[in-house]
Parts: sequence; C-alpha cells; structure tokens
Amino acid sequence: MDREQVIKALKDSGKWGHKYSFWVVYFCTGCGIIEIPPVITSRWDAERFGIIPVATPRQANLFLITGYVSLKTLRPIIRTYEQMPEPKYTVGFGSCPINGGMYWDSYNTIKHLDKYIPIDGWIAGCMPRPEAIFIAITHLWTMIDKGMANAYKKYRKQYKYYRRNQEMALGELQWPPLYPIDEDE
Amino acid sequence: MVILLIVGSIAIGFMVGVLFLGLSRKVKARIHWRYGPPLYQPIIDIVKLFHQGSVSHGFIFDFGILLSLGGAIVSLLFIPIGNIIPLHGSGGLLVVLYLMLIAPFGIALSSVEAANPNASIGISRKFILTLGYEIPFLLIVLSVMTNYGTTSFVEIVALQRASHWGIISMPLSGIALLLILPAMMGIRPFDQVGAPQEISSGPKVEYGGIYLALSKIQHIYLIFIDIALFVALFMGGSSEPLTFFLKMLPIFLIVILVSTVYPRFRIEQAFSYCIKWPTIIAFLGLLVVIWR
Repeated sequence: MDREQVIKALKDSGKWGHKYSFWVVYFCTGCGIIEIPPVITSRWDAERFGIIPVATPRQANLFLITGYVSLKTLRPIIRTYEQMPEPKYTVGFGSCPINGGMYWDSYNTIKHLDKYIPIDGWIAGCMPRPEAIFIAITHLWTMIDKGMANAYKKYRKQYKYYRRNQEMALGELQWPPLYPIDEDE
Repeated sequence: MVILLIVGSIAIGFMVGVLFLGLSRKVKARIHWRYGPPLYQPIIDIVKLFHQGSVSHGFIFDFGILLSLGGAIVSLLFIPIGNIIPLHGSGGLLVVLYLMLIAPFGIALSSVEAANPNASIGISRKFILTLGYEIPFLLIVLSVMTNYGTTSFVEIVALQRASHWGIISMPLSGIALLLILPAMMGIRPFDQVGAPQEISSGPKVEYGGIYLALSKIQHIYLIFIDIALFVALFMGGSSEPLTFFLKMLPIFLIVILVSTVYPRFRIEQAFSYCIKWPTIIAFLGLLVVIWR
C-alpha cells in the first residue's frame, strides 16, 4: 500500500473497505459456476484481493449470478438479493443473464435479469475466462470510487417497477414488499 | 494507572490478535501455493463491516453479541501479557476459567433470538464441543495449581522464572493443553461450530455488518487469550510484552499448520477425541504432579 492509497483510505475508509473486501455469494445457477473454483483456489487466488466466498447473504456484499436464470431459480435470487445488507453490488456472469444467451427460445428461463433485480455490471461471454472476473472486479473498484455502483439505490427508488416485473414472471409473490410502494405514482 | 493498564491490555490484545489473524491467512495461502491476502486484510474486513448495513432481530440479539465481546475482553484483563496485568490482585486462574464460558453463552443468547435453524445447530455443537474440552482443561488447570500451590498468574509466572518452564516440570499437562488448543480456539479441525459448508457458518448465519464485526473482534480476543494462557502457564510468561509475543508466535504457527493440513472433524468425532486422548494425558499429568 503506497502513500497515495493510505491517504485515500483515511479520507473515505468505508469506500476503501468496500473495495478491497468483497465477500461474495456465488449463485450456482448454471454452467458458469464451473469457473469459480479455479478463481477462489490456488490457480487464480481471488483472496489476494480480499475476495472470499461466504455462506449466507447476510454477510455478503457482492452477488455473482453465474449462468442462466430459470423461473424456479429467479425466486431464490430475488430473496437472496433482498436479504443482503446495503451497500450491495451485483454482477451477472455469462451471456445467459444478459439476454438469454443460448436459452433465448426456452419457455422457462428469463431473458433479461436486470428487469428483476438491478445489476451493476455484466461479464459477457460463453464462458468468460476466470480472468474476466478480475477485470470485472477492477471495473467495480473504479465504479465505487466514482460513486457509480449504486444499483441498490436504484432498487429502492424504482421498487414498483421491479416488483411488477417479478410478479409478472412469478405470479403472486409469497413475501411482502421490501420497500413501501406508492400506488399513486 | 489501572485504567492505563486496562486500555493497554485491550489495545495489545487487539493488535496482536489482528496480526495473528492476518498471518494465519497468509500462512494458509502459502501452504496452498497461493499469494494470499495482505497482512492487514482483517483490518479492511472489520472497517468494511462497520460501514455495512445490518439487520437486528431484537434486543437479546444485540445484547448477546455485546455480552460475548465483553466476556472476552474481561477475561483478557486477567491474563498477564508480559508485565501488563491490569487485574492481578483478584481471582487469577479460577476467574479466567469462569469468564471463558461467557463468550459462547452470549453468542447462544443472540442466536436464540435470531431463530435460524442453522444457528441452533451451531450453538448445540458449540456446547457439545465446550463440554468435550472443558474436562481435560480443568484437569490441566488443576495440575498447574497443585504443582505451584497457587491460583495467581503472577506467582505462577514468578515461580517458573525461579526454576524452569512449566512444560519441563509438567510435560504431560502441556502436551494435553496443546492438543485441545485448536478446539478452544474453534479453528479447524474443530470448526464444526461455524462450518460454512454444512450449516452456513452456524451461529453467525444471521449476523451482518456491525454484528459480524463485533463477533470477529471477539474471535480475535479469543485466539489471543487461549495462546496467552498456554504461554503464561507452560512457557514461563515474560517480563515484557515483546518477548511474550515472540513466545506466542511458534505456538500459534503450530496450531495453524495443523489446521491447514487436517480436514474438519464431525462433532461426535471431535467430542470423543477431546474426552479420550487429551483427557487421559491430562489425568496422567495430574497423577504425576500429585505423587511427586
């Protein structure tokens, strides 16, 4: 850590903490999860950037959705995202959550994940290499520095839109709304 | 003066504990042939956790975690860190024995309020494990008290300096304490309590943000207290904090090397291990001390 970084860390310690200590929930929806074990073990060693996997959404601040999202897994994804404490960051991994990918014609996968939960960034590719995760992380650092990684604020602001989309995909939801919804808007 | 000693003791405990935690992650990474996180990674984590939001599940949830942190800090005040021992006049070894049980009790209270099944399983495992290692630990403490004829830490350290280290005069008890040290610290192969793969990190499953930070700090103090106990009872303590720290380092490295190599026990294996070999060795050590 050089002198410039020390000053930066002292000036905004929260930002410094959020940047260099990502605790990740990996949502193992599809084939994308096969790229994660090399990332967190000896070959690519994500822990040198402070990235460690955690077991529960309460402790996490980064949510990585790896692979296609079927209607069945959309429900736990929304539940997991809503349980994470703020500030939280979300990254979609692979082309399936971006636009459906090779499951474009499928009857039971959703095509655009960012209609249902807000996404900070995407990693395109089928499959992306493990290096792409580190590129995404450095992009996320830049976004946190500039205050652009605020998708979780968007979720609070436009909750009505997201809730309506979730209800359209899943039917009646079994949980109460996370934020109050104004019907007048 | 006492206030200064208390503040100094808490500060030294925190700094050395953080250093140990960072060192353990680095050493583990090097054994895995990785580069590993920076040495100050635990500080980044704690700073981040204090800036993270969290969800409370009620008054007992907040109170339990504070109780466990308080218990850890208070038991730290009775441990001699070199010549820094804030509460040397009272209690000594017997008080530490009682106070060390407050930390798991606080976590248990807190988890009951959270009402998560994973937390309940973790707590039941914690108490089974505590039951396992308390029996040999009591035998060890009894043999130490019998050997030196006192319960005061200051006198035990002074007596060791007058003759020789406790590990030489009662080797069996020292070995027994070394065998149950990972279980007392709750690190692998005895981390069934907070096993992330089985029960979603156990009692910590509902903690986020500041709660997790407090429980992490409590774990840091717990590591420090357990190793400091070994150094004070069996390695002659020290007259200054620096030598004390240098004596703690090899013990900690031994524990970390064991924890990196061996996988996790199941809870009944851990319990039967604790009440078998360390208990037999500690009991033999007690017999030798009595008959000598």
